[in-house]
Amino acid sequence: MESPGIILAFWVLSAITVAGCLLVMVARNLLHALVFLVLAFLGMAGLFVTLSADFIAVAQILIYAGSIAVLMVFAIMLTPLAVRDNANSLYVLPALAAGLGMAAIIGFVAVSTPWAELQGDALKHNDPVTTVAAIGDLLLGRYVLPFEVASILLFFALLGAIVLVRERRNDGDPS
Amino acid sequence: MATTSDAANDTANEPYVLNIGPQHPSTHGVFRLRVVMDGEVIRDLDMIVGYLHRSMEKLAEERTYTQNIPFTDRADYLAAMSNNLGLCLAVERLAGVEVPERASYLRVIFAELQRIASHAMANGTLVSDAGAWQTPLLYMFREREKILDLFEMTCGARLTTNYMRIGGVAFDPPPEFWPALQELVDELPARIDEYASLVQDSEIFLARTRNVGVITAADAINGSLVGPALRGSGVPWDLRKAEPYCVYDRMEFEVPVGRHGDVYDRFMVRMEETRQSTAIIKQAMAQIPGGPHKTDIPLALRPPAGEVYGRVEGPRGELGFYLVSDGTPAPYRFHIRAPSLINLSLLREMAVGVSLPDAVVALGSLDIIVGDIDR
Amino acid sequence: MSRAALPPATPMARQILDHRSLLQRARTLPGEARVALALLGIMTVAALAAVGYLVIAGTLDGRWYDIRDLGNGTSHLVYWMERQGWHPAIPYLTTGLLGGLGILSLVGGWLVIGSWVERRLLAKFQIRQGPNRNGPFGLLQPIADALKLIQKEALIPIGADRLLYYLPPVLIFIPAMLGWAPVPWAARMSYVDMNVGVVYAIAISSLGVLAVFLAGWSSNNHYALLGAMRTVAMMVSYEIPISMTLLSVVVLTGSLQLSQIVAWQQQYHVWLIIVLPLAAFTFLFASTAEINRTPNDIGEAESEIVAGFHTEYSGMKAGLFLAVELGNAILVGAMMATFFLGGYTLFGLETWIPGYLILATKIGAVYFVFVWLRGTLPRFRLDQLMGFAWKFLIPLAIVQLLVVAVEALVIEQSGLPGVATVSGAILVNALLTFFGVRAWANAIGYRPEAGASTPILTTAVGGLRAAARLQAVP
Repeated sequence: MESPGIILAFWVLSAITVAGCLLVMVARNLLHALVFLVLAFLGMAGLFVTLSADFIAVAQILIYAGSIAVLMVFAIMLTPLAVRDNANSLYVLPALAAGLGMAAIIGFVAVSTPWAELQGDALKHNDPVTTVAAIGDLLLGRYVLPFEVASILLFFALLGAIVLVRERRNDGDPS
Repeated sequence: MATTSDAANDTANEPYVLNIGPQHPSTHGVFRLRVVMDGEVIRDLDMIVGYLHRSMEKLAEERTYTQNIPFTDRADYLAAMSNNLGLCLAVERLAGVEVPERASYLRVIFAELQRIASHAMANGTLVSDAGAWQTPLLYMFREREKILDLFEMTCGARLTTNYMRIGGVAFDPPPEFWPALQELVDELPARIDEYASLVQDSEIFLARTRNVGVITAADAINGSLVGPALRGSGVPWDLRKAEPYCVYDRMEFEVPVGRHGDVYDRFMVRMEETRQSTAIIKQAMAQIPGGPHKTDIPLALRPPAGEVYGRVEGPRGELGFYLVSDGTPAPYRFHIRAPSLINLSLLREMAVGVSLPDAVVALGSLDIIVGDIDR
Repeated sequence: MSRAALPPATPMARQILDHRSLLQRARTLPGEARVALALLGIMTVAALAAVGYLVIAGTLDGRWYDIRDLGNGTSHLVYWMERQGWHPAIPYLTTGLLGGLGILSLVGGWLVIGSWVERRLLAKFQIRQGPNRNGPFGLLQPIADALKLIQKEALIPIGADRLLYYLPPVLIFIPAMLGWAPVPWAARMSYVDMNVGVVYAIAISSLGVLAVFLAGWSSNNHYALLGAMRTVAMMVSYEIPISMTLLSVVVLTGSLQLSQIVAWQQQYHVWLIIVLPLAAFTFLFASTAEINRTPNDIGEAESEIVAGFHTEYSGMKAGLFLAVELGNAILVGAMMATFFLGGYTLFGLETWIPGYLILATKIGAVYFVFVWLRGTLPRFRLDQLMGFAWKFLIPLAIVQLLVVAVEALVIEQSGLPGVATVSGAILVNALLTFFGVRAWANAIGYRPEAGASTPILTTAVGGLRAAARLQAVP
C-alpha cells in the first residue's frame, strides 16, 4: 500500500477536482464557472504529480489552466451580445445520454483494466529517472506519425481561424 | 448566433462609452472627454469643458484695468507672463499709453522665458503621454525651474507672476538677475540638445508620434488653429513676425514650420522654438537700454470710449484680448480669445477613428491648459 | 560679476546649496560611530580573508558549515534526521518549510526594499532626490507606503462581482511565489530541482494571466476591462516567443533542468547570452511585456487607461498588485540570470563567494536594466507591440531554434573539442542575429525612422499659399 502522505494528497486533490467540476455545473455565472474549471485543472495537475508524472502535470497547468482558460476568456469576451450567464440548457436529454455514455466508458475502463500489474514494485522498477526524455523519445520515435498528424491538424485549424477572421477588403476590389 | 460572417462583424461592434476625465492622468487638468469606443478604437468623441470655469470675463467687468492683470495670470497658468503682456498691450493701445524702451525689452525677455518654460512643460507632458515615465519631463523641468527662479527673483512669484503693468513692468530686475540669466542662456542650447538626444530620435517615440494626429495646412487654417499646432501643420504664421509688437521687429529669429502636420512635427516645432527664444533673449540682453521701466499711469485709468483687439503670440498661439471701454475705469466688455479652447476644437478630427493611445498623444500635442479653456 | 559672489536668490536655491552630500555628512559623524564603522569594515575584510583561507586550505569541503552553499546544511540535516530513524515525512516537511520560508523571506524582503530601490533609482535617472524623508536615505519609505495602504478604505465598486473582485489580488500572488521553486541559488541550493524546470517556469508564469483578467473584468470599469484585455492579449502573444527562446536554450543545453542549464554554462565557461544573443534579447523584451514594465506596460498604461486592470482596487489590494509587480520583476531577473547570465556561477568565483550572492547580484543587475528602461523609454502602442511579437520575434525565434538544433547536434556528436564547436556556434548565432534581424526587418517593410524631419526655418510669414511655397522647397 502507498504511504499515508500520498493517500492524503490523493483524497484532498480529488476533493478539489470533483468539487471544482461540480461547481462548474452549478455556477450560474460563466466567469465563475471558468474559475472553478481552472481549480479543477489544477487539482488534476496535482493528481498527476502524485503519480510521478511531472511532465504531464506541468503540461496540464500550462495548456489547460494557462492557455485553455485564457482561450475561454476570449471566447466569452468576444462572443457578441452573449448572455454571460449559464443559461438553461436546451439539450437536457442529449446531454444526459452523452453523460451516461461517458460514465459507462469510464466505468468499463476502470473495471476492465488490469490495474494490479502496475502496482507496487513493478512500478518502481520501471520508474525512469526523467519522464521528459522518455516522452520525447516516444513522441519523435514510435508515435511520430500521430504527433505529426496532430500538428498538421492544429496548423490547419490556425489557418482556418486566420481565414475566418481576416478582414475583407472592399467588395468591388478583386484582390 | 450569427449565421454569416458579415452579420457577425456587425454584431461584433459593441460600442461603449468611456469617460476620460475629469480626473485622468492625461487630460492635464479637469477636462472631460466622453468617448464612444469600439474596442480600442474611438468612434465618437465629446469634449466637455467648464470644470474650471471661474467667470473671469464677467468678473473683469467689475474691476479696473490694472486690477484685471492678476486674472490673466490664472487664465493660462503656465504662461502668466504672456497673458499679462497681452492684456497690457491691448489696454495701452486703447488708452494710448507710451511704454519706455527698457520696459519693452524686459517684456520680450520675460515673454520668451515664459515661452521656453511653457514649451518645456508641453513637450515634457507629451512624452509622458507617450508613456515615458516622466524622465524627459523632469529633464525639461530642470530648465523650467531656473526660469521660475528668475521670475521669483524679479517679482516674487513663480507661477502667477502679475509682472507686467500698463505702461511697463512692475519691477526692474535685481542685479543678481542678469548673471543668472546669462548663465541660463549660455547653457540652454546644450541642455535642449541633450533633451533632444534623449527623445527626438527615440525609435519608440517616433513610432508613437509619426503620422499620428495629422492636420493638413488647410484644415488647420479652417479650424482657426494657432501657435505651434498651426506651424506644425506647415503654415508659417507667427504674430511676432506678422504683426511685431514690443521690440520683436529688432530681433533676428526664424519661425520653425513642420512638414507633415503630425504630433512629431508639433513636438519638433516647440523644440526649435525654444532654441529661437534663447537667441531672442540673447539679442535682447545685448540691446537693452537703461532708463525707466514704467510709465506712470493713473491708478484708475479711464481709456476713451471705444474698442480694441490686442493680440500676442503666446506659447500656445495667438492670445487675444478684446476690450470695450465706455470711459469708466472698468472695461465694459472683457473677452479673451484663448488659444487652448480653439486648438482643442480640432481634437475631434484627430481622434475619431484612431486608437485610444493615439488620441491621448494627439491631445497632448495640442498642449491645452484647462484654465485657458474655461477661464 | 561672478555667480558665486551673490547670495542664493530664491528659497529653493538656498535649499539646494544647503544640501550636504553623503561624504560631507559622514565627516561630521561622532567619533564613536566612526570607530564602530571602521571596526565593521575591518571585521568584514577579516571574515572574507578567513573564508578565502579556508577555501585555499581545502577545509570548506561541502560540510554543513560550508556557507557557500546553504544546500549543504540542509542535506546534512536531512541525513541526520534519517539516521535518527524518524519517519521520512519529517525531513521532507522540515526542509520544505525551511525552503519555503527562505523564498517567502526573499520575496518579502524584496517587497520591503524593492519599491525604495526603484523609486530611488528612478529619481537618480530623473535628476531628483527620490524618497529621503522616512528613515536614513528614505529607507523606511516602503513601510510607510504599506502602512498608508493598509489604512485605506477597501472600496468595492458598485456592480462589481464580489467573489471575483476579492480573488485576484490573492491569486496573482501564488505564481509569483511558486515561480521561485526551480531557481538554483547554488549547486545544491534550490527548492525543487525538478527535471521539468523550464516547462514549470513557463506554466507558472501563464497562471497570472487569469488573475489579471478576473481583476479587470470584475471591477465593472471600462478602464480595468481595457487593461485586462490588453494584458491578456499581450501575455498570450509573448508567451510564444518566451517558450521558443527557452526551447532553444533547452535544445542547446540538452536539459529542462535549471541546474543543468547553469552547469552547461559552467562547463563551457560561457554565458548563454553570448551564445544566444537573439534569444536573450527576446526573453528580456518579452519578459517586460509579461510583467507589465516599460516599454511594454500597455496593460497599465497610466496616460491612457489610468492603472489598467487594477484601477478600481484600493488600499492593500492595490498594494498587493504593485507588490506582485515588484516580485515578478526579480523573478524574471532570476530566470534571466539563470538561463542567460550563468546563474550562480561567475567563472570560478563561485568557489570563493557564496553562489546565492552572485545570483542576487545578477538579479539586481537585471532589475537595474528594468528600471533603466523604465526611466528612459516611452511606451509602445498595443498594435505595435503585438505586431512586434508576431511578425518579428516569433519568426526569428523559430529560425534561431532550427539553427540551435543543428549546433546542439554538432556540439554533442561531432567529437570536436568544446571550445571549437561552441565558438563556432557563437559566431554563427552572432551572424544570424545581426544579419537575420536586418534582413527580416527589411523583409517586413520596416524602415528606420532615425533622422526624421526637422522643422523648416523661415522668416517669411503667411497663410496657405506661403505654406504651399514652403513645402514646395525640398
